[in-house]
Amino acid sequence: MIESLASLLMVLVVLALGPYVVAVMDRLVATAPRGALASDVWLGPLSRAAWLLTQHANATEAPDWQAWRLAPALYLALAAVGLALVPWSPTLIATDLVTSVVLWGSVEALATVVIFLHGWSANAVLPLIGAYRYVALGLSYILISMFVLIGAALPAESLQLTQVVASQESLWNVVRQPLGLPLFLVVGLGLTFWGPLNLADSTDLAGGTAAEVSGPSRLVWECARAVMLVAFSGIAATAFLGGWLGPWLPGPVWVLLKTLFVLALLLWLGQWLPRVAPERCVTLMWIVLLPLSFVDLVWAGVLALWA
Amino acid sequence: MEHSIFVDIAFLLLAVLAVVAGWRVFRTDSMVRASFFLLVSFIAVGAIMMLLAAEYLGVAMFFMMAVEMMVMALFMVMFMMNPAGLNPMMMVHQHRLSIIAGAVAFFILAAMALFSSFPADPLPAGLDPVRSLGHEMLGDSMLIFESAGIVLLATMIGVVVLSSHRGRYGAAEEGSVPPGLEPGGDPAGQPEKGESEGGHEHHHHHH
Repeated sequence: MIESLASLLMVLVVLALGPYVVAVMDRLVATAPRGALASDVWLGPLSRAAWLLTQHANATEAPDWQAWRLAPALYLALAAVGLALVPWSPTLIATDLVTSVVLWGSVEALATVVIFLHGWSANAVLPLIGAYRYVALGLSYILISMFVLIGAALPAESLQLTQVVASQESLWNVVRQPLGLPLFLVVGLGLTFWGPLNLADSTDLAGGTAAEVSGPSRLVWECARAVMLVAFSGIAATAFLGGWLGPWLPGPVWVLLKTLFVLALLLWLGQWLPRVAPERCVTLMWIVLLPLSFVDLVWAGVLALWA
Repeated sequence: MEHSIFVDIAFLLLAVLAVVAGWRVFRTDSMVRASFFLLVSFIAVGAIMMLLAAEYLGVAMFFMMAVEMMVMALFMVMFMMNPAGLNPMMMVHQHRLSIIAGAVAFFILAAMALFSSFPADPLPAGLDPVRSLGHEMLGDSMLIFESAGIVLLATMIGVVVLSSHRGRYGAAEEGSVPPGLEPGGDPAGQPEKGESEGGHEHHHHHH
């Protein structure tokens, strides 16, 4: 009982602090390598949040108000589902479903619907283009993620994330299946349309699905993207970096450190990789990365049979 | 099997959500909204399946229906004269036939629910739903599932080939034409030059 309450509390704390941590880390990653820290690293995210909160909420001509206001909240809710699936220790986990790997796959699929709804319901051209663009790309992210995660589930012989962690006792999946984590990181950037894969909310569409959104719902949308990035990092740390496993420190601390590591890696990639054109991105996904995910799955299968 | 009162409450709420969302599918005025109301209905049914210990099938319902409804909404918008799906349109047709069909289906299903005797099989102890489903699918039902799987895979490959910009005779954006019947000849299967250029009326005037 105490552990389930504690794990729920963990989810709420990450939901509350996640966006701030992501914003601060993103600023650090962007400016630190140049030797000059931005002056607003710590207060900048807060002042932006306050500014968005007091900003006038924009209205378009005849939008689908329900869907438009609901979409950011639904994306945040999907991120919360993802966070609830991350095991902090063998017992400290909010939702220890026997099919939690598949439920994470559903979060990715439902995110496609929610992102589409966000752009579609504004009833404006640029958000609509962003929405269609995400759907066209989202399918390839889901497929890559599916094959890579099945690969991670194979050594565990289970679709349960706690079992996936337990199966990495001798060797972490990042070593056992070297293609897995790099491919999964691409999925993470795609799912949150971050950095090089920000094609849904990109600047060439004046902000894409969020082009017409201002005020509090813009704040919720940006927070939801950040929390989704954190939830994704938690899942990646669980599936490939051995979750709570590690010497000296208690399990939850290891999960936190590994999640922050994956998060920093994603933010660094987001800052330093060039953006891809959408058409070339589809080609890259289907011609290069999807076959690589097949290779990863065959690799994992052969190893599982051999062991 | 013993279950808590919360399972009953959750079942009732999800059942109401499934029915109300299903009803909204027909009362809304947009194909995109109708698809996503249907998705909400299916998600509620998936959650009910999880209450019934079908933990794999329930979760599979979420991601399968998410992708299916998304693709369905896009295809409906693409193939109908309503580019964004936001313009109001009537979602029901052939009213009299639909009312009769709906009423007949309702009475048949209601009669089945009321008059059939449902088995009261308790869950076997130590049931592993994922494992037993896997043994079923790759055991006795293997032929059915594998044939369906091959058909679906062929369909998927076909759709990808059809929607790819790389056609059989070159990239779509470069204006692909088939090769000639003899080396260096005109593209095969094209309409006659005279017909396509002049048109019938023009041709007639010159005679």
